[in-house]
This record gives sequence, structure tokens and C-alpha cells, in this order.
Amino acid sequence: MSTEQAANAAGPRWTYGKRGYALAQSLRQLKRHKFASLITLLVLGITLALPVMLLFASSALQQLSSRSIEGESLTAYLQDSVSDLDGAALSIEWASREGIRDTRYISRDEALALFRENSDIGAAVDALGANPLPGAIIVFPDSNVLRAGTVEALAASLRQSEAVERVQFDLRWVRRLQAVVSLIQLVGGLLALFLTLTALLVIANTIRLELSRRRSEMEVASLLGASSFFMNRPILYIGALYGLLGGVVASIIAVIAFNAIRQPADDLSSLYESTFRLSHPTPSQIGIVLAVSIALGIVGALSSMYRPSQQLTQRGSNGK
Amino acid sequence: MIVFEHVSLEYLPGRFALQDVSFTLNAGSFTFLTGHSGAGKSSLLRLVARLERPTSGDIQVGNIHYNQLRPRQEPALRQQMGIVFQDNQLLPDRSVFDNVAFPLIIGGYRYNDIKTRVSAALNRVGLADKALENPQVLSGGEQQRIGIARAVVARPKLLLADEPTGNLDPDISAEIMQLFMQFNASGVTVLFATHDQSLLDTFRYPRLQLHQGKLTGAPQEDSPAPAARGRQKSDHAR
Ligand SMILES: Nc1ncnc2c1ncn2[C@@H]1O[C@H](COP(=O)(O)OP(=O)(O)OP(=O)(O)O)[C@@H](O)[C@H]1O
Ligand SMILES: [Mg+2]
Repeated sequence: MSTEQAANAAGPRWTYGKRGYALAQSLRQLKRHKFASLITLLVLGITLALPVMLLFASSALQQLSSRSIEGESLTAYLQDSVSDLDGAALSIEWASREGIRDTRYISRDEALALFRENSDIGAAVDALGANPLPGAIIVFPDSNVLRAGTVEALAASLRQSEAVERVQFDLRWVRRLQAVVSLIQLVGGLLALFLTLTALLVIANTIRLELSRRRSEMEVASLLGASSFFMNRPILYIGALYGLLGGVVASIIAVIAFNAIRQPADDLSSLYESTFRLSHPTPSQIGIVLAVSIALGIVGALSSMYRPSQQLTQRGSNGK
Repeated sequence: MIVFEHVSLEYLPGRFALQDVSFTLNAGSFTFLTGHSGAGKSSLLRLVARLERPTSGDIQVGNIHYNQLRPRQEPALRQQMGIVFQDNQLLPDRSVFDNVAFPLIIGGYRYNDIKTRVSAALNRVGLADKALENPQVLSGGEQQRIGIARAVVARPKLLLADEPTGNLDPDISAEIMQLFMQFNASGVTVLFATHDQSLLDTFRYPRLQLHQGKLTGAPQEDSPAPAARGRQKSDHAR
């Protein structure tokens, strides 16, 4: 019977709901302009690849600065008059102070042994007969003390102790590394911001094109009583789709690029005895990338759809 | 059902598409809207469908006063009407079925409901076997029937038709006219714009006659409808 035949002409169920319709439309639009869509996705992926790489590398960078901080220490040389027992007690007392992560007491004998090991003039010291080296406490500050640059204050407070002769520290290496890392983060952040804005513009521009392709359908929908949200929803979905797929492409590019630079980066970091490792992106990092890129797509779509939909109802139903 | 009171429409300042038009159409009536090309037929229908706003005057459809209508409510209002457009306004990249289903998707109908209604509407206009076709490969008359099926698929109380028989053979015109008469017989109010003289001569329904944007003669007295049904009494005030 022909009525049944007509009912069989219906497409899949999900394409007849309001959301399903919008999704089907947006997929259809991407599929119909395969080549253009592909180029757009590549452009988006390449543009977003650097911000994504920065995000993926951020934990490694963080580690780089904090790990190397962990090795940093101050050395408090004690007065000659301080006994090993007192020195050790002072070391233990300091360890519980705020801003200090750990301490280690080095007795005069230990100091001498170390000196002998590491120095060519060990024999000369032997010639002196008596041990000329003072006891020392090595102080490992909390990394936040190092970051906040309050090391001087800590050193000053250590100096107040009568047992201490002088406090010595050299933070040039930490400072330098931190400066480099924060420069990388700043420059990278700015670049990432610009590139993200570029991606936004690419999406907005692409959506403007999609809007013009959909104009006639939107007119018909308007004539049939569709709300502007109904008409705009496929465009929003296209934006979100571009964002999502762009984010996926960017992540893939970032992972490939990481694999390419992993070996040289490891070589470099082993030169510095660093534990710096480019690790694989975590699920939450990938989640952030996809969420942000979808949001970019939606914002891009919103920014380009505001005006055109306003003019719709003014269009004629009559022959133009 | 439809009340116009001193309605004027100016697209450009000083150029009236409609000027001081007043009339009343009763619910359940069948009325021809006639006049030469450019007389303002489409403009009048667009006003009823709220696709256009009058420059002055009041319009009331059902119990809705258009000057109290907020823009947000307009789409919902349009969903209540069936409109056959002069140029069909079909979607070229969609099957006949999906074209007819479109207002139901907009209206948020359920899938099974959509299937039943669309196939019933297509059956009604004799296009059930063309449901999978693309409208572009169909003839002018078939395309017009798709537009009609789409207009009636949500079973509106008011049907606006803008020259649904334009450029068609007389016998196809008569067929389409029969369709509208059937809808009217089931209680739908029909406002049917046409300048097809043979149609006007054959089916002697009341007319609203436009001439350069003004209503001329309220001819319901001099054209007693022979295809008459008793309840169909349109009274045209001027
Ligand atoms: N969007 C518009 N902007 C400006 N003028 C318009 C517009 N639409 C219609 N007009 C003018 O309004 C007048 C009435 O047009 P309308 O389309 O209502 O006539 P019509 O009776 O439907 O004609 P036809 O039989 O050719 O369809 C015409 O002079 C037309 O040029
Ligand atoms: Mg017209």
C-alpha cells in the first residue's frame, strides 16, 4: 500500500528530533563540503597544535623548575667551638622550622673526609695536623620559599643563631632556570593566546560561510514558524564539531611532535642530570583540550551568527 | 477568524502595498483573494502570517491581536497556520518526505507521529509513491502538491494559499482546488489567493478583490457559492 511506502521513506529516527535534526544537518554540511572541511580542520589543528603542546608540556616544565629547586640548599658553617652534639641538635631543631624542608648535619670529620675526596690539596690539609674545617648544617628550604625569593630572609634568620659563623648559598642556577622556564611560559602563553584567537577567527569565518550556505533553508524554516534558536542550532553544532575535530587534530599533531622531540629532549636533560621527561598527555589534559576547543567552536559560531539571523523574517515568500 | 481593521502596509514610504484594508472572515469559510499582479495579495497573506507587520491598522486572527503579539511569540503563531507559498519554498536537498516532515520537526512532533502524518498528507495529495524523490526532479504541479501537503501536515485551523495553482494546467488546477475544498469541508478556514479567472468562474466562493492595494467591491452578495455548504458565510466589511 502506498501509505506504507511513504512511511518507509522516513530517515532514521534520531534525525527527526530537534537536536538530532540539527546534528544531522551539521554532519551533512561537513560531509557535503568534504575538501573544504578537511582543509579547515587541518588549519585549526595546526593552529591549535602549539597551545596544546604547551599544555601537554606544562607539567614537565613545572617539574623541571621544582625538581631542580629541590636540590638547592644553603650551607650554614658553624663556629669552631660548637660540638658535634650541639651541631646535630641544632640541625634537628632547624628541620622542624617553617620554610625548611630538611636539614643535614655534617660533622667536622665528615667535612674533612669529603674535602679529601674532592680535593687535590687533601694532602696539604693533612700537613696542618689539626682539622681546619668547621661543622656545617646543610639546609634544604621548602620549594615555595625558593620560589618566593625569601631565601635571604631565611639565611638572615639562620645567621641569628650564635652557633653559626656564616651562611652561604648560591641560587644563580635556580634563578636562571626559573627565569628561563617562566620566559618560556610567558612567551609560550602569549603565542598560545594569539594562536587560539586565530583559531577562533578561522572558525568564525568558516561559520559565516556555512551560514550563507544554509540561508535558504533557514528562510524556509522561518516561514514555517521555526524559532531563531531552531534555525541557529545546526550552526552551533557545526561550530562545536569544528572545535572538537580541530582539537583532536591538534592533539594528534602535538603527540606526534612530542614523539619526535622526546629523544633529543631526554639526551639534553640527562646532560644536566635532570629528571625532566616529556610524558604522554594525561586524560584530563586531553579533556581540557577538547573542552576548550569545543567552546572555541561555539563562541566562533555565536560571534558570526548574531546578525544574519536578524534579517531573516524580512525576506520575501514571494518571488524575488 | 481573520479581522483586518484599516490595515495599511507601506514597503517604502508613500508606496502602499495595501491601503486601508478592512474585512472579516468567519471561521470555516473559504475565500478567494483576487486581483492583478502587484495588487497586494501576497502582502495581505504575509500580514496574516505575521511575516510582515502593518504600517497601521489592527489585525486579529483567532483570538490573537497582532499588535499585542511579542516577536518571540510569532514563530509559534506561524506553526498554527498552514501556508502554501507562491514559490513553494521547498528544500531542494531533501526528499519529498523530509520536506513535508519539516514543519513537524520544527513543531517537535514524535517520530511515529511524523511518519503517520506525513504519509497521510502525501497520500492525500497523491504523492505517496514519490516520497523518496527529490522535489527538483518532480513536475511543477507535483512540487505545488508537496507544498500543500507540507501546509496541511500539522492539521492547521487556517490555511493560507498563495496562488497554489499558478502556472498549472487547468485540470491540475481543478484537482488542487478540490483538495482545498476537502480541507475546507473538514472545517479548515481557507484564504486562497489567485488571479486564475477560470478558477474564479468555476468555483463561486466569496472574494476579496484587491486593486492596487485597496479592496474593491465586497462581492459576497453577487457570487452566491453554488458548490455551497451552508456554514460557509464569509462577510466582508469595508
Ligand atoms: N519586499 C518588498 N519590498 C518592496 N516592495 C514590495 C515588496 N514586496 C512586494 N512589494 C510591492 O508591493 C506590491 C504588492 O506586492 P504583492 O507581492 O503583494 O502583489 P501580488 O498581488 O501578490 O502580486 P502577484 O500576483 O504578482 O504575486 C507590489 O507593488 C510590489 O512591488
Ligand atoms: Mg503574490
